[in-house]
Amino acid sequence: MEASRRDFINVAIGGMGVIGALGVLYPIVKTLAPSAASTTEAKVEVDISKVPELGVRVTSYKGKPLFVLKLPKDLTIDKYQVKKEQVNSAGKLNYDLLKGHDVFALIGVCTHLGCIPLWKPEGSESVNAPYLHCPCHGGLYTPWGDNIGGPPPRPLFVPPQKLEGSKLVVGEPGFVDKLV
Amino acid sequence: MLRRVVDWIDERAHVRDLYREQMVDYKVPKNLTFPYVFGVLALTTFAIQIISGIILIMYYKPLIAHAFDSTNFTIMREISFGWLFRHIHAAGANFFLAIVYLHMFTGIYYNAYKKPRELVWIIGWVIFFVLLMTALSGYLLPWGQLSYWGMVVTTEIPMSLKEAPFLKGLLGAIGETVSIWMKGGYKLEDLALGRFFGLHVLFLPLLLMILVGIHLFLVRAAGISNPDGYEIDKKAEPEKVVPFHPYMTLKEGAYAMWYLALFFFFVFFHMSHFLPADNFEPADPLKTPPHIAPEWYLLGFYEIFRSIPSKFWGFVAFNLSLIFLLILPFLDFSPIKSARRRPLFFIMFVVFVISAIALTILGTMAPTPTNAKLGMFFTFTTFLFFLSLPVISFLEWGWYKAKGGQS
Repeated sequence: MEASRRDFINVAIGGMGVIGALGVLYPIVKTLAPSAASTTEAKVEVDISKVPELGVRVTSYKGKPLFVLKLPKDLTIDKYQVKKEQVNSAGKLNYDLLKGHDVFALIGVCTHLGCIPLWKPEGSESVNAPYLHCPCHGGLYTPWGDNIGGPPPRPLFVPPQKLEGSKLVVGEPGFVDKLV
Repeated sequence: MLRRVVDWIDERAHVRDLYREQMVDYKVPKNLTFPYVFGVLALTTFAIQIISGIILIMYYKPLIAHAFDSTNFTIMREISFGWLFRHIHAAGANFFLAIVYLHMFTGIYYNAYKKPRELVWIIGWVIFFVLLMTALSGYLLPWGQLSYWGMVVTTEIPMSLKEAPFLKGLLGAIGETVSIWMKGGYKLEDLALGRFFGLHVLFLPLLLMILVGIHLFLVRAAGISNPDGYEIDKKAEPEKVVPFHPYMTLKEGAYAMWYLALFFFFVFFHMSHFLPADNFEPADPLKTPPHIAPEWYLLGFYEIFRSIPSKFWGFVAFNLSLIFLLILPFLDFSPIKSARRRPLFFIMFVVFVISAIALTILGTMAPTPTNAKLGMFFTFTTFLFFLSLPVISFLEWGWYKAKGGQS
């Protein structure tokens, strides 16, 4: 079929219309982009000298609660009956990533349905050591976030973090490289 | 594929019949001139205002503690392209009024308010009035110095009734009550901001949409006027009309493109007039900004108000100028239409346009004795235009009859 002048005009006007519509849509869609204020939370610094032993400092990282825990140096995974088949996205237990560090940060969101676990530093009858307990459906975690019991399908998330003197910097790669 | 989708819809909704009936079989006069485009441009601007307003309302907070910051921080700095939508909305308000004024002058020039189009004009006047209310209420929302003091002055206007030379007690009480009820108290505070916000974002735009719908319906029902002022019989004179689509849609679409280019030139490069620096200072109820005047679209009425030495009669005159506009179809009862065929009307139309422009310019100037006299003079010529219409109509009826009922 031969292209007529009318076809040319239709395509030209239609094309202009499409470009115009895109030009209008671009700024409208862009107004939905995250604001600078909300993205500044992508890096958090915590002064760990002020966190007591067996204490937890709760702050916020990318809009989620961040637990900064300080554990006694002699606490190891042997005190817990960990479900070893449930691993983080690096394919490991959180403990394997975090052992040797008495201070570290975890994302304080239960991996079952998003509640915030409670910190039980004195342990209980069934778990005779400090642990994390999710109040919603009873998920149990070691202080490193590995699963002990309950419905959670995987360990707590660990954000990228590094030590700078007495500061724990969350959001930059260090002894944990990326969110796992 | 697209054709099959349209076919499927058409079988059920008969959209092709509707399109043909409303766009192609709808015929408009062939001789429409450029000024007839202002209606479409007003509609375009209305759409722009609605879209940009929806974006702004998502981030604006109508509380005096937050209004200024939500406008000047959240919208202007925090939200990506928030500044663009505020610029569009502020410039759009000015363009909207400008286009509506041009649309009204066009209507007056071609006598488009005459039988059978009186209702088109009257509804159009109501749209103009509601638009002024929308502009006024929207002006308060950024809660800057000009916003605040502009609204203080506006809510003081009904107080002019206190200066009445008769029925002082009653009129004064009415004026004061209206003024306090507008503000929801003695001061402009959260209550006032809340109600003007509600009016601006919901009630008035909704009202405008309904009124614009009625206005368009009435234009279709009465048929569009034409520059020569003769009514066209579309069936008997098919050579004088053209299909609305593609003739009008393409012509007006092209003009709309030029209009948008001009509009966005101002939005991107010349916003200082539409967002004056004084309004980037938060409202201070204890300090009036040194330079304050209404927005340009109110200056004509404002100059009529202030150039008359008595506050009460100034109030009456500026209301009267609005009412004369409303009853224009009844002031001008001549059987002849369009300034092209009415030399006396044409002269008075020129007087009216010059007066309106002069009053607007005088409104920006200090009220020196000379300016006050000029203001009085042009107020007089404005009213002369309205009051000359019955006289001209009377004369023209005579000529019309002398010619045996032909115009």
